Amino acid sequence: MNENDFNRRDFLKVVGAGGAAAALSGCGYTSIEDGKETITSYVTLPSYVIPGIANYFNSTCAQCEAACNTMVRVREGRALKAEGNANSPINHGKMCGLGQAGIQAHYNPDRVRTPLLKGPAVTWDDALKEIGTRLNGVKGDEVAFVTGTMSGHAQELLGKYMDALGTKNHASYEAVSPAVLRASNKKAYGVSMPRYRIDKARVVVSFGADFLGAWVSPVYFSQQYAKFRKGNRPEGRGVLVQVEPKMTLTGANADRWLGIRPGTEGILAMGLINALGSAGVKVPADIAAAAKDYTPERVGTDTGVPFDQINKLAALLKERTPSLMLAGTAAEGYAHGSQNAMAIAMLNHVLGNVGKTVEATSAVPLPQLAPVVGNRASLAALNNDLGSGKYKVVFSYGANPVYSAPAAMKFKDNYNKAGFKVAIAQYLDETALAADLVLPLDSAMEEWATVVPEYMPAPDSGYAEDYAQVSFRQPVMKRLYPDTRSIGDILLALLKQRKPDAYKNFDDFYAYLNGAVLEKKVAFGGAAKDDNEVFWNDIVGKGIVPVKGVPARLSAKPNIAGLALPAPAAPDADYPLRLIPAVSASMRDGRNANEPWLQESPDPLTTIVWDSWVEIHPKTAAKLGIAEGDIVEVTSRNGSVKGQAYLFPGIHPDAVSVPVGYGHEAMGRYAKGVGANVFGMLDPVFDKETGELALNGTDVKISKTGDRVIIVKEEGPAGGSQAGRPRIAVKVSAGKVDLTKEV
Amino acid sequence: MHFSLRLFTLVAGLLLAAASHAADTAPKLTTPDDLGPEVAQPIEFPHFRHAGDEKDGGMQINCMYCHTYARRSIVAGIPPVQKCVGCHNNIPSVRDTPRIKQLFDYYDNNKAIPWKKVHDLPDFVRFNHERHIKRFYFQQDRPYQEVCGYCHGDVKTMVVARRQKPLTMGWCANCHQKDHLVNASSTETGHGPNDCFTCHK
Repeated sequence: MNENDFNRRDFLKVVGAGGAAAALSGCGYTSIEDGKETITSYVTLPSYVIPGIANYFNSTCAQCEAACNTMVRVREGRALKAEGNANSPINHGKMCGLGQAGIQAHYNPDRVRTPLLKGPAVTWDDALKEIGTRLNGVKGDEVAFVTGTMSGHAQELLGKYMDALGTKNHASYEAVSPAVLRASNKKAYGVSMPRYRIDKARVVVSFGADFLGAWVSPVYFSQQYAKFRKGNRPEGRGVLVQVEPKMTLTGANADRWLGIRPGTEGILAMGLINALGSAGVKVPADIAAAAKDYTPERVGTDTGVPFDQINKLAALLKERTPSLMLAGTAAEGYAHGSQNAMAIAMLNHVLGNVGKTVEATSAVPLPQLAPVVGNRASLAALNNDLGSGKYKVVFSYGANPVYSAPAAMKFKDNYNKAGFKVAIAQYLDETALAADLVLPLDSAMEEWATVVPEYMPAPDSGYAEDYAQVSFRQPVMKRLYPDTRSIGDILLALLKQRKPDAYKNFDDFYAYLNGAVLEKKVAFGGAAKDDNEVFWNDIVGKGIVPVKGVPARLSAKPNIAGLALPAPAAPDADYPLRLIPAVSASMRDGRNANEPWLQESPDPLTTIVWDSWVEIHPKTAAKLGIAEGDIVEVTSRNGSVKGQAYLFPGIHPDAVSVPVGYGHEAMGRYAKGVGANVFGMLDPVFDKETGELALNGTDVKISKTGDRVIIVKEEGPAGGSQAGRPRIAVKVSAGKVDLTKEV
Repeated sequence: MHFSLRLFTLVAGLLLAAASHAADTAPKLTTPDDLGPEVAQPIEFPHFRHAGDEKDGGMQINCMYCHTYARRSIVAGIPPVQKCVGCHNNIPSVRDTPRIKQLFDYYDNNKAIPWKKVHDLPDFVRFNHERHIKRFYFQQDRPYQEVCGYCHGDVKTMVVARRQKPLTMGWCANCHQKDHLVNASSTETGHGPNDCFTCHK
């Protein structure tokens, strides 16, 4: 026995006794806290509210332009979670992550709570009086509005207010929008947003359209895609081929991903037309003539897509019809973006898809409610006028051009030349911060609104082919802050200032909306004899109003005249790489960057969170001596950003990609200072036909700064390495895959 | 080591353990007969007057007339002030008593009454009233005062309610292990769920 007799057994006895006592007292009754918490009863309670049981209210999502119909779970007066409305032809009860985060736009601690005049809080009366004073003696043409996409009765009121002021200056601005596509669709099909029927296609070739992630109406397309991929469909399981310089979420889901040289999408489309012609597909003479120079060998050299792949793809398209060609963000972001989109549309014509998978659509019968869709061309015009000092009063709503305009446009300086700037905003974003007067906006959970989606879904069974819909947004809970107002309320108050007699009967926007809808009861699908209250409760309760739409017909005659695709640009000696600003499903154009769930949810491809990154092909990185986590500087002629390098094989070796939406200088605690703003460094390159700012038109160079970080991401540190285990997925080179046999 | 030293260490350890036990349980939240602390309420609500037996001056109102959500929700709920006023508007005889005056003060000023929770389970416990009322009140057809009383004691004799049972996990599990008739007309028995997940989710 040890000299020290106090042995382990004794020690355990002592410790055991103490430990048992501690355990006993820890597990005792101490956690029942009678009389400490308050259980406050209601004063009065509607009969449908049962404490502990949720109520659901139908409304409409405001997180992107797709305007999915939602059903918000509300318990004891608090909005808890948004789900999809199962009866919606747009989202059929589903919601995306962006939509889910909408609840954080509502409870966000950085919301503007009172009107702010040059900083300090003022009352609504003073704020409106100030606007009245500033508008006094100002000519109509000296007032401008810059807004995001608007539709429904708020747009109607804005139109009326602009009429009252005598102005036509409305810049509808979206930093990321399919504006080039709209214009080329209009030319090629006669309709700017036809119905794309992914669900009816047997092959989809998407030229950079991230329709599962961030393109037009992703939740709607995801469901079409699910049908497209079902093997038990009469057409069989569909094949998806994605052509893009930087892999998107849709690209990651494709059967074949072709990493194309940036900007040569149109050349590939023409090459496919040529190859289809050679394979015996009937091609109209003018199109065949335009395509005859695009031999597989030349197209292969220009695009970087192996030429045998082009022939295989053409064989696949010939064998499986109907197919569907989609021109997306990556194809349209160039000075020749319209040409790219047109070449892709011609491919649809040649394949006979127009009328089959590119369908006619219909518009709402009330043109004053139709969406005024945003683009980037409108900003250029506004910027010029601002620069000339033309505007005395500028209103902004739902757009943040100070953040998203390229620095080369000097938008902020020009904006500051306006005499008086009014920002109608939910947060103090960059544009609101530069404004003189900020008017606090309701969240989408607090406001009344009607929304008309730009992309009208195909009718569900039971609805006629001319289906169109108006969606209702209703407040699902009481205002968190008593001094916020909806855009409708604010426009109504401003209108009352100009025309007190015409609007004196409307106490608030709800009264206006109610009156305006009931006045057009028949257009909203009611019968003249319906009781007003019953009809109103019915449509608000459902949240979706199916209306008899005005059909927009396709003009099927293809016209290739004027199509001229430039040869791929020779690499710039000083700026050898092409910048692809990536639009991700969560971050989009950055308007939702202050919702922490979106910052926290890993990017689907890189799994990076809470920061932006610079995506580089491993070969390019090796050439430049860049390793993962190196802080690199991406420099263009007009600016630069710094970011962590991420080596990713899903990008063309001549391209680098930085996500947009990060790098806010304002907009609250969750957005400010996270990542880098890539909008600022874009070269002012514009699409030649539409005047749209070309997102992918910037050449850059990369240099190492010498710093290195460990990237915060979900995937393992080795970037998907099997760490010595035998490979599970075998690599097959692209040239050896035969798509016709693969599926 | 000497025996005395060894004894000393053990005794000291035990004393320490006892002291720590005493210190941890110092604010006694339960008495040996499982009684909870007395909780002061904004209005001293006389349960015995509303729910008590007729011989004791009570009106024998069903518990679930006021705590109406017990059979429909996980919480029993405190009635909205509107409900109290709904009856008391028609009882002029007590209209000027202090407590009723207080009640109308709240109602007239559109103020909610900040009642204190008497039966407050920890946040990690999910107790469902509806399920228990369904089994014992609707299926077994037992008297409501008995059913509510399993957990809440004989509230009909109290003025302000006070916790009568320990409401600990062991106490819950004890009852869940007993065989209960599945309904009033059957001899078949069953016992309460025994999964962690049922209450801790």
